[in-house]
Parts: sequence; structure tokens; C-alpha cells
Amino acid sequence: MGLSRREFIKRTAALTAASYVGLELPFSMQKEAKAADVDKWVRGSCRLCGVGCRLDLGVKNGKAVALRGVPESRTNLGYLCMKGMLFYKLMGHPDRLTKPLYREKKTDSFKEISWDEALDIAAKKFAGAVTAYGNDSVAYYGSGQALTEETYLFQKVMRGGLQTNNVEGNPRLCMASAVGGYLTSFGADEPIGSYSDIEKSHCFFIVGSNMAEAHPVIFRRLMRRKLDNPDKVKVINVDPRVSPTSRIADMHMQFKPGTDLAILNAMAYVIVNEKLYDEKFINDYAVFRVGKEKKQVDLAAYKKFLEDYTPEKAAAICGGNITPEKIRTAAHWFAKSPATMSLWTMGVNQRKRGVWANNLIHNLHILTGQLLKPGADSFSLTGQPNACGGVREGGGLCHILPGHRLVKIEKLRNQVEQAWGIPKGRIPPKPGYHTVAMFEAINAGKIKAIWINCTSPAQSMPNADKYRKGMSREDCFIVVTDIFPTKTTELANLVLPTAFHFEKTGVYGCTERRSQLTPKAIDPPKGAKPEVWIVREWALRLAKELNDPVIKQCVAPFIGKEEGYELPKAIWDEYTQKLTKNRDNDLRGATYDVLKTMPDGVQWPAPTEDFAKKGGTVKKFVRGIDPIADKEAKDDKPYQFYGPAHKDRKLWIWLRPYKGPAEAPDAEYPFYLSTGRIIDHWHTTSMTGRIPELMRANPYAYVEVNPVDAKKLGIKPGDMVEVESRRGKNILPAKVYEGPIEGMVFVYWHDMHEDRMINRVTKDAYDPGSKEPEFKICACRIKRVSGPKPLKPYIVR
Amino acid sequence: MKRRWKYCCSALVWAGVLSLCTLSFAEKGTSVISKVSQAANAAIKAVTQETHPEVSEQEKLMPCFECHKEATPDIEKEWYNSRHGIANVKCYQCHGTFENMEKEPSDDRCYVCHAGAKNHTKPGKACWECHPAHNFPVKKK
Repeated sequence: MGLSRREFIKRTAALTAASYVGLELPFSMQKEAKAADVDKWVRGSCRLCGVGCRLDLGVKNGKAVALRGVPESRTNLGYLCMKGMLFYKLMGHPDRLTKPLYREKKTDSFKEISWDEALDIAAKKFAGAVTAYGNDSVAYYGSGQALTEETYLFQKVMRGGLQTNNVEGNPRLCMASAVGGYLTSFGADEPIGSYSDIEKSHCFFIVGSNMAEAHPVIFRRLMRRKLDNPDKVKVINVDPRVSPTSRIADMHMQFKPGTDLAILNAMAYVIVNEKLYDEKFINDYAVFRVGKEKKQVDLAAYKKFLEDYTPEKAAAICGGNITPEKIRTAAHWFAKSPATMSLWTMGVNQRKRGVWANNLIHNLHILTGQLLKPGADSFSLTGQPNACGGVREGGGLCHILPGHRLVKIEKLRNQVEQAWGIPKGRIPPKPGYHTVAMFEAINAGKIKAIWINCTSPAQSMPNADKYRKGMSREDCFIVVTDIFPTKTTELANLVLPTAFHFEKTGVYGCTERRSQLTPKAIDPPKGAKPEVWIVREWALRLAKELNDPVIKQCVAPFIGKEEGYELPKAIWDEYTQKLTKNRDNDLRGATYDVLKTMPDGVQWPAPTEDFAKKGGTVKKFVRGIDPIADKEAKDDKPYQFYGPAHKDRKLWIWLRPYKGPAEAPDAEYPFYLSTGRIIDHWHTTSMTGRIPELMRANPYAYVEVNPVDAKKLGIKPGDMVEVESRRGKNILPAKVYEGPIEGMVFVYWHDMHEDRMINRVTKDAYDPGSKEPEFKICACRIKRVSGPKPLKPYIVR
Repeated sequence: MKRRWKYCCSALVWAGVLSLCTLSFAEKGTSVISKVSQAANAAIKAVTQETHPEVSEQEKLMPCFECHKEATPDIEKEWYNSRHGIANVKCYQCHGTFENMEKEPSDDRCYVCHAGAKNHTKPGKACWECHPAHNFPVKKK
């Protein structure tokens, strides 16, 4: 619902008033080069979501001047969203960090220092912390936007060198529940299928995802499938908020936030009680399990469990537009379609019971056999370009080592130690702090030095003020590596300027198990360095400071390598050839030489170069398609579930009860607050906020208010509204439309301005299994504080 | 279809934008009237140069469609219901922003996403001559 003419005029009036108070935009305009006017095109990947769009960077006179899609790429088929079209403007941006900056105290001003000084300081501080307070007093907090080579090398130095598993990253905030769901339901992390299932699917079950904005190019493929086959293809959208994604839906299921677990169980109830399940598939491949003990039960027990979730009971729990009939229809569409594909993101993952919600989606697929055949899959969309490749596969979380190995299993630790040529027992057996615990530990003064790479937790942590307070402590030395100033560099002692991708070489692994190389195309701004060079040089100094040759051993294979290509290539070779060998993410065939020849990279498993050159594995676990399924086959069945987490080689259907959010609305805080992305911006706007087109398209965060609630509270479009929780408050302009369900407000989370930084309001409760925070739901109250006010877009400079 | 854009973005349409701006400015009192005149003059000049009428920096922070829903409602509606509209391909992706705006985008802007289509482009013909803006039917009309 758009603004009425009267409302439009009113808003325009407010905005116009601001034009006379003097406004400085946080960017300078530059003349844009014509797309075709380039010296060369260099092929790589986009880094502004998890889709993995392939694109060519246009280079002229050594500068990035244009981008275009790669039509032969199987990820994006040539399409790009606005972020993918425009990010070349970041590379020569005048705000780029180009000098190491240091201050002893966080209250001091930064001073420019040399790289030698900077690396010496970083080494002395980390070594000093280890000596005085022990190995677990230091930590690394990385990113799903770091290249695989970077995450791998950082965690190698932390675990093998500094002997701590305090290795975390922002994928904990977005994908950890999906990891937990895949491991507990299918026995192996990451999706079974691929994007190519989209064009073969007949029913899309989109739950907890506004993919039209968060994954626009993949949404475009769904849209084309639906619009080209309007009667043949059904789209079910399950979301408390009507979003741009809902525009292609045949059915929108709108419910009270947090009650979707009841919907999913109710759909299972219909499938079981109306015998819509695939009995042979279940008998061949699945078992039922319940509880922490993973106790095996039978179909009868599952059926009894589901009696609490009749469509009538679920509809009463869920509210909104959920009716028993709607649940039945959704279950029928899901089960009876020739091929059903589920897609979800943060609405499911960022939840107190995110793993359970993932399990309940997987349950529907296992029950109905909507898996492993063309067009059918239970497909989690990843948020970041390399959350899968770098962090989930490369060992970027506190409990996992490279190659999907668990820290707690000695045999797997020993495999890694052997591959690295370091003494057995060097990697500590105890997993490190997960993300919330890591920042809690900073608050408690337990972490004395932390390296934050390519991410901005000062803005992206839930309940951000609580953790910013800890990060402000003078007894915690903070190093930040990034390309631009952020809310987190504001809290750092040492800021190190890094190269953007395309200014260095490395691999991103996107949602569909696909690894893609982005080679260096241009030099970074003078003074900025690739992270792999920074880590290597830092580690060599650490080895001297701590007089520990094992730290040096961690980077010994890489000493002397040229930083733009040879160094990352050597790291990738070590990781793929030694650490993914015979693992489910076997990438030995995806060498740089092979990746350079592929328009769109390689999907693992890809154990040999010959196999990788054909593109790798489109569908895991299927004999004849997946070489590991053939190699590991234990019987004649076409599907072989060899995943490391399920020794019984079965898919697990879980009995998971409905549980609500950690904080439900009450008399004091009567509204649900949810947050999400907007299409024009990426994460914390440190990049997209510096691109004029993108900043102008969405210069501020809004609070979306349902018209019924707005009327009750006297809120009109553009009015300034206070959104307050038990943790903090924002004041934002209101967008009044029938998006969020009545009783819920929704805020975009990209805005850096203190008044509009919604993570000051969100809650840091987390899933007990995945440790992923429940960004998506907390209780708040709202009130109108004034009419429209002129606002300025804001980014840290 | 070649003339479609020009017709739709004629001075008459821009006058609609200006009338909105005038209303808005007028609410702030007579002191801004002279600025309105300046804006109007600039807008007229802009039309002849086929660039966007002059708007304030703050007004540039409004999404294009919010003005164009009023100023060019047919175009906005056509776009909104097109595949570009459903897929959130926004105005600025084809037309650029104020400083680099093209009323009639060159084919280069199309090729950012539709590089494969270069092969079937007829010499001397713009993409939108066969795929009329702003609904872009895929079949040749």
C-alpha cells in the first residue's frame, strides 16, 4: 500500500524543509564510465549476498569502472541486482582506509603508523595477552565475506599457533541454525540440491525469507518459473510480514511471529493423517527420533506426537490469517506437487528454536520424499558470499575445523595437526567461545586481545549497546581489518587497511556448495594489503615474540610467496588437497587452474580435476551424480547418506514441539519487533552507503507499522516513532502499510545512525543448539514522538 | 515506441512534479516562492536537455517511484507490474541517478544484466524498440 497523495505531499513538505538547512551527503559523486569503455574484463564473483552471482569487472587504466553479469553462469544467468551492478564504485572510493591507524587508548585519537609498527604492535599485544592471561584470552572474529584463504589462515594461526579455538565469525549470526538443521536431519551440512532445481520445481515453499530483497537474483529465477508457468507452479509464502517476495505467492500464510513451528508440525499432521507421505522413501531412508538422547521411535509415536498440532489447534496458536483449511491446502500442495522446493533464511535461522524450525522443514521433505529428485530440495539460502565456503567449510567457527571436522573429536584434530605438520595435541580439545559468549567474555574482561576481520559487530550484534560497552574497555585490545571506517573501527585500537576482493585473489563458496575464484584485477589503494599477507607477517612476529617455532610452522609453507596470487593459491592448495581430502566437501579437483577455466566455479564434492571440470556435484547423495555416493555406497539403493554426523546413514525425522520466542509481547511491551534487509543495502551500509544510487534509494531505516496499529496510536506516514525494548530504543520515521501483521513492527537493520540502529533494541537470546541469536523476534512498545522530520543519511567516516 | 518515453516525460508531466513541489514549498511560506521559480526554470531547462528537473539534495533521497507514482503514474504502474517491477529492478538501475541520468538509457545499461541478448540485437535498433519500456515483453511485437 503506497502513500496517498495527501500523505505524499506532507512527506515532501517535510523533506523539502530539510533542503534549506544544508545537507552534506556522505559520498562524493564521480563521473561514471560507460560500461563498454574498458581495457579488459576480469571475471569474478559478487560479494553482496550469498547467491554467488558471477560478473565481469571492467578495468580501465588500472581502475575499476564497470560491472556486468556473466550469462553462462549457472548461478545468476547473467542477471545482477543493483548492488552487483555498482560495487565497482567502492574500489577507488576516497573513504578507503589506506594507512594503519593506532591509538594506545580508545579515548585517544588515531595516529597513522607504518605497517612494520602496526604488525609489531599487533604481535606484542596478542603475545602479551597469551603470556599473561593464557591462550584463551585472545580471539578472532571473522566474516562470511572474507575469502576462504583468509578465514583458513586466520584460524590456522589461532588454533595451531596460539592454541585457542576462540575462532568465530558473523555466520554464527545468520547460518548456524541451518548448519544445525542439516547436520541433525540429513547428517551433513549444506544443501543437497542446487539452484538448478528452481527451473524443475512445481511448488515453492518460501518460509522466513524475503528473498526478493535479500537474494534478488535467485528470486528472479523463481519469479520467472512462476510467471512462465502460472498454473503449473504453486508458491506458498510463510511469513508474518507481507514482503516483496509475497508478490509471486499463490498463498501467503501470515501468523504471529514465532508460531511457525506449529504450522510446520500441523502440515506434517495433515501429511501423516491423510497418508500423503511416501512410505517407501521413509522405510528406505528415514528414522524418527526424539529428544537430546536422539531416541529412535516409530511412525505411530510420531503420529501421536502430532496430535497436538491438528490444523485447528495450530490455527488457534498462530492467529493471523492461518486457518485449518489453509494449512491443509499448503500440505496438499507441498506433498502432491511433482517436485517441491523449500527456501528459507533468517526468519527461520535467527530464532531461539532455529534448529528445530530447520528440522521441521526438513521433516516435510523427508516425509513426502520431496528430496533428491530434480526440482525437489530443502534449500537454505545463505546470507553471505562465503559463509558456506570460508566459514562452514574452512573452519571459521569455534567448534569446527576445516573440512567439516568437529573440534571435540580427537581423531579429527589429529588429522588437521598432521596436515599442518604441527605436534599432535597442539589444537586444544575444547571448542572456543561462540559469538555471544565471545562478546560476553569481552564484557567480563576475559578476552584481552581480539582481531575483528571484515565485519562490524558493534552494529551487527543484537543488543548492541551491551557489547559495545565491553568493546570500549581499555583492557581489551581490538584490531580491526577492513576497507572502510565502521562502527567497529570506532572502538578499535589498531585499524589495518585491507584490499577489496578483485584487489586480491581468492575463493568464495556460495549457497549451493559452489566455489568460485575471483582473481586480482587491480591493485589495492596504496597502503592497503590483502589479509593473507597481514596474517602471515603477523604470525612470523608472533613466533618471535612467544619464541614458539610452531607458530612459524603454521605459515612456513607460505613464506616468500607473492601476495596477490601465489600466496592465496598456496593456501587454497593446502586447504583443498590436505584438509578436504576424503571429506564430504572434497574440493581437491577445484584447483585454481580448474576454477580459472569455469565460468561459474565448481560444486563439491569434486574429488578430481576431471570431475570438477564438468562442474562438480549438482545433487549430493545421489548415485551416478555424486562420486562420493558411488564410492561410499553400502547397498544398491540410489541414495546414499554418507554424511559424517549420522552413523546410521539415515535421514532423521524429528519430533520437535512448538516453542515460542524468548521474549513475547506483554502489557508493558505489547508489540513484536522484527528486523530484516532491504534490497539496496548490504549489512551495515559501510559499503552500500557509499554508493550514491544505493544510499539515495534507501537513505534511512524506517519502522513499518500496520495501518490498524498506526490508527490506534495516531501514527501517520513519515511521523517519527519511538521503538523501545527492555534494552534500548530507536526513533525512526514510520512507513504505514499492510506489511507486518497487526501487533508487529518491522525495522530494516542497515542504518548506522545511533537513533536508527535497530540492534540497540533487538534481543541477544540465542538458540541453545546453534547459539544463533533471535534477531527476528523480541517485544517492544512504540509511540509517536512527532510529525515528519528532515533526516540525514549517515555513515561513519 | 521510440517516442514513448519522450511523450511520457514531456514538460506537461514535469509540470506535475513541479506542482507538487510548489505545494510543498508553499507550505513553508512565501520566502521559498522564489526558489520554486528557480526550480521551475531549472526544470524547464532540464527538460530541454533531457535530464531530470532540478530537485533539492533532500528530495533526491526519495525513492524515484514515490514522485513518479504521481508524476508519471502510467509508467510507474507499467513498471510495477512488469518483471522488472516484481524483481525489484529499480528506476536508477536503467536510468542512473541524478548526476548520470539517461532518460533513454543506452543499450550498455541493458547489457549489464542482459549481455547474452547482445547477440540478437539488430544494428541501429535500441533494445526497447522491440521490448518496449517499461513492461519489456520478451516476445517481439
